Amino acid sequence: MAVNATVPPIHSKRVEAWVYSVLNPIIEGVRRELLLLGRGDLTWRAYSHRCEYIRPIQQYLDESQLPNLEDFLCDPLNPQFKAEFKRHDLALNEVEGKAERFFTGLMNSELFRKEVGDFFREYAEKSSASAGRGIADMTNEELAKYVVEYLINNTGDLPPHYLTHDFWKEYRPRFPHLAEEFDPYKERQSFQDLQFAVVDLRRTSESLSNRLEEHRRDLCARFDIPAAPWANGRKAPDAGNAFS
Amino acid sequence: MGVKHPMLAMPSLEDDGRRELLILDTGPIRELVLHQAVFRLGFDRLRSELRWLTNKAAYTRCGRFIAAFKRKTTSASVAAELNHWIRTTEQHGQEKLWNRVYEEFRQMAMDEEVVKLLEMDLHLVARFGPIDTSLLGLAVRHQQEYPTLLTSDRALHGEFQKAGLHVSLLHKISS
Repeated sequence: MAVNATVPPIHSKRVEAWVYSVLNPIIEGVRRELLLLGRGDLTWRAYSHRCEYIRPIQQYLDESQLPNLEDFLCDPLNPQFKAEFKRHDLALNEVEGKAERFFTGLMNSELFRKEVGDFFREYAEKSSASAGRGIADMTNEELAKYVVEYLINNTGDLPPHYLTHDFWKEYRPRFPHLAEEFDPYKERQSFQDLQFAVVDLRRTSESLSNRLEEHRRDLCARFDIPAAPWANGRKAPDAGNAFS
Repeated sequence: MGVKHPMLAMPSLEDDGRRELLILDTGPIRELVLHQAVFRLGFDRLRSELRWLTNKAAYTRCGRFIAAFKRKTTSASVAAELNHWIRTTEQHGQEKLWNRVYEEFRQMAMDEEVVKLLEMDLHLVARFGPIDTSLLGLAVRHQQEYPTLLTSDRALHGEFQKAGLHVSLLHKISS
């Protein structure tokens, strides 16, 4: 790996690029992870089998800025970040893998499928007056996928216009939520594994968030650059993207 | 069926309380997407884009209104307008906004229908544009299902009212 041993000058454009196009979007992404993980919301989706809003570090950056990431990672001013980003991505990969295992395990459990089917029938009979609002058109398997997704994401209330809102509101308490409650489905272990993986990811993200913020402060102070683009006292037009 | 002037195509409907079919315009879909992005997923910088569903109470009222309908649909032109909005709102995070749009469509089992340009009345397209005309077209197409349009566009609201069609304004149902 090539190492640039030259220390950039004060007000360095290179360092600005690191802060604006690398550190800022990653800090924002990791902070959001912590917000979501704090609620137990992995944003895992059954249709994609991944955490939609918790992503590998590189995906928090705009593709056009990847050369700045590469430059950032190979400069000795930014030590250890390569390893820390890798640790984060491995922790996320672990969470997605454990979520997948738990999902597959429950979906293959005859008992779980039977319970979902029973609840579904019971719900459909009780709410026959409002039949046709969509959920009645679902198959047992489709509903079961939603239920496992909600269990993985620790989903509480759903928006009222979601098809599964009424069902989930009424039947959520009847589904297992604690590790030991997954025993009958033989998924206690996979649920616990998932929980441990989530704790590890959260710890990794917390540590990374602190390190990134500290490093940004350090670079800004040392090279006398603002923490976000700022031109003539006004926010620069490319100060960032809401979804970065 | 071609889309002619709705005043001619549709019988005048009184509000009979039927909640069969809801047709969603771009504005309400955009607001639903933004509310979730800002308040649930923490994309704070999109907050300034929100106009109507700026708090949980407004979002819940809107959600309940939508949930009261058995079916929801929109036109393919609305999807194209969402694309325009996403491209002008987000230079780099477009996939995440689309992700939210997909989530909304999936979770409310939204149907999407094509109203072909050549099926639309040229004068209506010239006057209202192809998107609004496609929504009028859907209302005509589904007249047996007592459709209601949900929009944030006052001009379109007025046109639907003039044509005797059910229409609700987003800010009215959410406040």
